[in-house]
Amino acid sequence: MADLGAMGKDGQMEAGAGPFSRLARAQYAALGAMRWWMVRSGLRSIHGVLDLGATGISLMIYSFMGLGLGIGLGVGAFFIASHETWRLLLIEFWIVCIVWQTVPLALASFERQFDMSGLLRFPVNFSAYFLLYVIFGLLDISTILGGMCCLGIWSGIALARPGMAGWTALALAVFAFFNILLVRAIFAWVDRWLAQRRTREIVSALFLLVVLSLQLLNPAVHQTRHSGPGSHDDQLERYHQVESEAGPLLKTATAVQRWLPPGLAGSAVRQAAEQRRGPALGMLGVLGLYVLAAGAALAARLKAEYRGENLGEAPSRKKTEKRDDGWLLDGAGPVAAVMEKELRTLLRSMPLLYALGAPVLMVFIVGSLFRNGAASHPFQLALPVCVAYGLLGFSRLIYNNLGAEGAGIQMLFLSPTPMRTVLLAKNLFHALLYGLSALIAGVLASLRLGWPPSATVVGVTVAWLLFALPVNLAAGNIFSLTMPYRVNPGRMTRQGGSAGSALLSMVVQMIALGVGGAVFGLCILIGKLWLTIPILLAMAVAAVFAWVQVLRKSDALANQHKDTLLATLSRTE
Amino acid sequence: MLSLPQMEIAAIQTHGLTRRFGALTAVEDVTLSVAPGQFFGFLGPNGAGKSTTIKMLTGLLEPSAGTMSILGQPFVAGALDLKRQIGVVPEGMALIGRLTAPEYLRFVGRMYGLDRDTVNRRTEDLLQFMQLDNERRKLVTDFSHGMQKKLALAAAVIHGPKVLFLDEPFEGVDAVASGMLKTMLQGMIQRGATIFLTTHVLEIVERLCSHVAIIHQGRLVANGSIEDLRAGVASSLPGTEGNQRLTLEEIFLSIVGANGQEPAQELSWLT
Repeated sequence: MADLGAMGKDGQMEAGAGPFSRLARAQYAALGAMRWWMVRSGLRSIHGVLDLGATGISLMIYSFMGLGLGIGLGVGAFFIASHETWRLLLIEFWIVCIVWQTVPLALASFERQFDMSGLLRFPVNFSAYFLLYVIFGLLDISTILGGMCCLGIWSGIALARPGMAGWTALALAVFAFFNILLVRAIFAWVDRWLAQRRTREIVSALFLLVVLSLQLLNPAVHQTRHSGPGSHDDQLERYHQVESEAGPLLKTATAVQRWLPPGLAGSAVRQAAEQRRGPALGMLGVLGLYVLAAGAALAARLKAEYRGENLGEAPSRKKTEKRDDGWLLDGAGPVAAVMEKELRTLLRSMPLLYALGAPVLMVFIVGSLFRNGAASHPFQLALPVCVAYGLLGFSRLIYNNLGAEGAGIQMLFLSPTPMRTVLLAKNLFHALLYGLSALIAGVLASLRLGWPPSATVVGVTVAWLLFALPVNLAAGNIFSLTMPYRVNPGRMTRQGGSAGSALLSMVVQMIALGVGGAVFGLCILIGKLWLTIPILLAMAVAAVFAWVQVLRKSDALANQHKDTLLATLSRTE
Repeated sequence: MLSLPQMEIAAIQTHGLTRRFGALTAVEDVTLSVAPGQFFGFLGPNGAGKSTTIKMLTGLLEPSAGTMSILGQPFVAGALDLKRQIGVVPEGMALIGRLTAPEYLRFVGRMYGLDRDTVNRRTEDLLQFMQLDNERRKLVTDFSHGMQKKLALAAAVIHGPKVLFLDEPFEGVDAVASGMLKTMLQGMIQRGATIFLTTHVLEIVERLCSHVAIIHQGRLVANGSIEDLRAGVASSLPGTEGNQRLTLEEIFLSIVGANGQEPAQELSWLT
């Protein structure tokens, strides 16, 4: 045994203040070592090796996506700098900002995040905790995409105007830092708001209000644009009418956006390019204030967490006295029991509800994008695309359908209910939910694109759905049993994940979509669109057969992966 | 070692039960019999293999070797009818955090195939008995550890099992509830149930259990009635007089503690 006595009390480092104290640095090193050990330990199992491989492939895919965006923005920046049209640079900065802030929401299902709150049992000072929160997970999708975009813009400007390389780098660095802090602050606060009933209701109400506002705004803007064809003079008159009506609003919006971070970053570069160093520095200073504000918003949230806030929802005494004997679903069988449990869990998980509802709402919001210019001829594939997009929100639910069980997975193995029955109940519940979601998405898309939609397109959409759903459910059951990861249904962010499961689920969804699109395209090519329906229905029969086969084998599969399932899902972290 | 009478069917029977994790053998060649109606204590120091054994006996872990039977039937994966006969409070408690206590109990009851009236009636009885009635709208995730233990125990017995496996059921439970639970478990024994209990609280084992097995480093090192073990240890301890009544703790320590371990080094740097 080591001579522990020799270490003595003096063996402890001074707690120190600040994120770079001796203790903090030792803790960073310990965390880094821990992450490395976890990776190394993960490599002991095939699952771990696959997961690491999938992480590498995912990073490559995101890097390529980022590269594409970066090259596009870089080319744009090159022309902007070459032609001195610096005003247009604002658009590029806005694109970067929107990508940085919205991609994590859209791709949350495919991403693994880190939960730092477990570190609070150690003597970690707040600034170190804050720094770790910001640094950990820097290799996430949004940072990769945003970083590539910034690199693209910098390259474009630096190539066109080498003298601007320094200024552009400075502006982009501050802008990038702002985005990193803002996206983390947003997620941290959303998690907090969704954790308790009262704030959850307020956020939901605000969210719906914003969506409705967008809906009211959209027809107002498009009213004149889509009012039908007319003579050139009529169109010109309408254009001037819109310009006169919307002009003041646009001017105000333009003036306001200049003082928002993307506008400030773009303006700083523009001012520097026009040799106005003072205003450029001033703009960067204001952008720095935004960085501080985003940091303060994040710090306020983390501070509460650091102090050990409790977000439990203790019911009031009055409510406690009321008895709740209601069964949501009748029937004593385990299928009804599992479906009822799923429903109750879902209704109590705002993050899951948002994940399911967001694609549907997005369909409603951006539905008008599918119209071809000013003409009222919607994109032919719009309805199936909108319905397929709704399936994205179900990724985490379908491809990790045991993830939210936690320690309850033990109960599923202990009970006399076979795993295939549990999975059947979950699949039925998810299929019903998706059916409902697809119906709403379909109705909303049709409302936006013109009602009623063509019967053939509706038929194609339904046929594709009948093919894609069992494919996804079958693959989801396999991934759920072989690559499970624990999910906290009460949280939107800081969830665990499996890179392998995320990557493969994306591949399956792409294949289902690609096959549907290919059949559709071929049938259009031969001029027989109706043929898509019987082909997809035949494929749906095959898909249902595959799903049944997977269900039949799921008991054996569950038994084979029982150790992993129990260890992964019921562990406490 | 104690053996059952030839004709009696054991409630729990294992033969050569072994579990290996890679190079590590967590449980090795465990052979034991628990008679119907017995309150059986399964003891051992940390990491001895208690929870691994209980996991194998309840179907949560596949044995690497050996056989086991419950109520005379071989217990293998997919023995669903047999699973109806057993109740378990596993190490992780098997709770579902986003449900309330009544919802969870109703869920478990339905998973065991109970009808609606029975589920509702037993849920109410158990909530009242476990003193969880006032917390019926609270999510399980917001329960204290002790409350979670009580709920896990309620869920383990809702279907009226004939064999009950309890892994540390009294951990975190207050003294009042603990007394109540002991009474409930003794009542089950009187009605013919068999209970297989692991705990580190030796006083509870001494008070409740008629038979005890001790596992150490994965191997069964003692098995029999407490009186048999007491007599065996007393005879082997130098200086112990025949009429001196050893406590279970002394028996345990003499069997496990004296097994080639050096006395713990003093940590002088601790205040």
